[in-house]
Amino acid sequence: MANSPLVVPGSGEKSTANRTKLSNTAAASNGATPEASNTSNEGGHDLAEQMNEEEKQKYVKGKKLGEGTYANVYLGHLRSDPSKLVAIKKIKIQKEYTEGMAPDAVRELKHLQEISHPNIISLLSVFSSKDQNLNLVLEYLPLGDLEMLIKDVEGVRYGAADIKAWMGMLTRAIWFCHENFILHRDIKPNNLLIAADGEVKLADFGLARSFSDPYRIMTSNVITRWYRPPELLFGAKHYSGAVDIWSVGLVFAELVMRIPYIAGDTEVHQINLICQAVGTPNEENWPGVSKLPEYTVPEPPTPVRLRDHYLSLFGTAGPEGVDLLMKMLILDPRRRITAREALQHGWWAADPVPTKKQDLPRNSGGDAKIGEDLKRRPGVLDDERGAKVARKLDFTAVR
Amino acid sequence: MSEDERYRTSTQYRLWSYSPDSLLALRSTTNRIAAERVREAVRRLREARALSSADTSEVENGQSTSAIPEGEVDCLTVDEELKLVAFYCRQTIQLGDHLKVPTEVKATAIQYIKRFYITNSLMTYHPADILKTALFFATKTENHYFRLTKFADAIGKTKPEDVLASEFLLTQGLRFTFDVRHPFRALEGAVMELQALSKGDIPPFHGAGAVIEARPHNMERRVKNAHGKAREYLKSSALLTDAYFHFTPSQIMMAALMIADKELTEWYIKCKFSAAAGGLQQKVLATLEKCATMLKEVDTSSEPSTTERKELKALAKKLNKCRNPEKMDLVGLQRAKREGEESVDEKIVKKRKLEREQSAKEGEDLFGPAIKK
Repeated sequence: MANSPLVVPGSGEKSTANRTKLSNTAAASNGATPEASNTSNEGGHDLAEQMNEEEKQKYVKGKKLGEGTYANVYLGHLRSDPSKLVAIKKIKIQKEYTEGMAPDAVRELKHLQEISHPNIISLLSVFSSKDQNLNLVLEYLPLGDLEMLIKDVEGVRYGAADIKAWMGMLTRAIWFCHENFILHRDIKPNNLLIAADGEVKLADFGLARSFSDPYRIMTSNVITRWYRPPELLFGAKHYSGAVDIWSVGLVFAELVMRIPYIAGDTEVHQINLICQAVGTPNEENWPGVSKLPEYTVPEPPTPVRLRDHYLSLFGTAGPEGVDLLMKMLILDPRRRITAREALQHGWWAADPVPTKKQDLPRNSGGDAKIGEDLKRRPGVLDDERGAKVARKLDFTAVR
Repeated sequence: MSEDERYRTSTQYRLWSYSPDSLLALRSTTNRIAAERVREAVRRLREARALSSADTSEVENGQSTSAIPEGEVDCLTVDEELKLVAFYCRQTIQLGDHLKVPTEVKATAIQYIKRFYITNSLMTYHPADILKTALFFATKTENHYFRLTKFADAIGKTKPEDVLASEFLLTQGLRFTFDVRHPFRALEGAVMELQALSKGDIPPFHGAGAVIEARPHNMERRVKNAHGKAREYLKSSALLTDAYFHFTPSQIMMAALMIADKELTEWYIKCKFSAAAGGLQQKVLATLEKCATMLKEVDTSSEPSTTERKELKALAKKLNKCRNPEKMDLVGLQRAKREGEESVDEKIVKKRKLEREQSAKEGEDLFGPAIKK
């Protein structure tokens, strides 16, 4: 026993015998300041181990929802209330990564621990189990993701009011991230999960980071290609929340068209498509762009697309909606609309009123899907869409 | 969202802020449990050695055998543990300087060490091991990633597995919260605002002309000097004391400015409050005084005095005699965990469990287990 710091229950339920406790068990899952225990040496565990054990004992792990190379996802519930469901994401030890806890897990934990918002997936608890596996207890989001809804053209019908509701939730989520100085850096429809009540939740913080100090550089190799803004494609090492806004704009366009709007096969192709769809970046519409390290644009240049062009493609969103979309897709990141400004846009108040979340279109069979979504390695591509995803981050190249 | 609202959602506020009493209570519990465990482990070791006095291979760790004196183990007190932690935190700053990592990485690493040792004892995990791990882990969380082998080489006499061996322990001790809120950016903001105020580019918050008239002399130069001095306090005293556990980053920043230039800082505070909020202003000043007192406890220079050095040497010696012999070889323990080299006991438990599951499964099937192909 001495070599095994954690008492590991053989199968969740039978383990109460080994339960160790701190005195303040009233504390909510992660929220309370720990207090000293008055009883002595509980089962020979360090205080840190006792706290971990206490977190772990709050949950019962159930059936497996999904299995991936990065993580397995299980359905779970609160021991004290079996009706309260959770998803338990058990991160596997990665054999190929030999430098300790993987950076994507570090990023996801670091940021999800800090923020709490109705439109961002909640990290309810974290504990370790046998063999030092990390277990992330996440809220259970059984209704799949936005990508499923967008793709299911036959099965799911939705309209302008529904799009407005989903966009509102996404915009609030990203506003909250930026308000807390966090860049998400991987916004796309399949990272937008749907709760039982229809609420959309931004997930997958494996590429997220805090805003950099002005003199510190960041990697430009983030965000799945189809949703990646031109400044990153041009290799910018200093950037802002505007990168996420571009992605939000493309999710908006995709919701309307029901097909990815700018879907390049390579980075060069992606730039070419952006030039065609939005306009060719140049010194006139984006002062300084030609100095970005990888700035190259195809000839001949396309003038920046005007309102009529957008109205013809995205007219269902209405003139106000089109206006917001155009502002999210402004080439120059300094002029692109911010999340806060987006929330103050006239579209939200214009007709139609956003659909109430409980009335939003949905599909069923989400169980398997949440497994699919959560088991993916954060920040890295799943197989199906692998081609367009950001390459795995090379943490040595960028300091 | 206000700064306060933001801060209240942080784990630094929710999990890592304490009253002095509750912090002491936690540390005392940790110390007591660790001491009990050390005595237990030493007793076990002595028993084992008595059983096979001829066969020393029973006790794998050569280093541990010689270190254990006769009689009752003399364990470190809470206070002694704290002094040693402070010393090793200074070592961490020096190591960070040597590796040329940014201030944030060093600062985060030190908070990791301080947080870790609230619920873990030095007697269980030696700070010389933990500090390397903490610094390496901070390079990950602060986006200043170092290749592990490069990191270990740069430290010298360190293998990659030495750095990684306690990474999991560290993250568990941190309760899997990695974000640390520092006062450095706050200081830059305050200095920018002071500069603007000194040039008259912006009016004081409540537009009180009298306040701006009472502006200290030579303000630009004083702001510059205060900036440098305050930053020194933030880079040393703020990290080495318990300031982060008791005060917010902005309070720590203002307290450092207060030490650097009291008159300037008091004038600055007056600019930020309306005259009607006198009560609040007093409250803020009282808190800043408390924080400043704490910061002044630790000298900003990195060298301990000769008497301190002597005391630390004695404490380090004492620590070597009261370490938990079962937790000394972290690399070995970690390897055992990862490679599944379980102890005999664990193997038996596992085997029985397997058998149990097997028989349970078979019991369910009326016709017995499936025939293997």
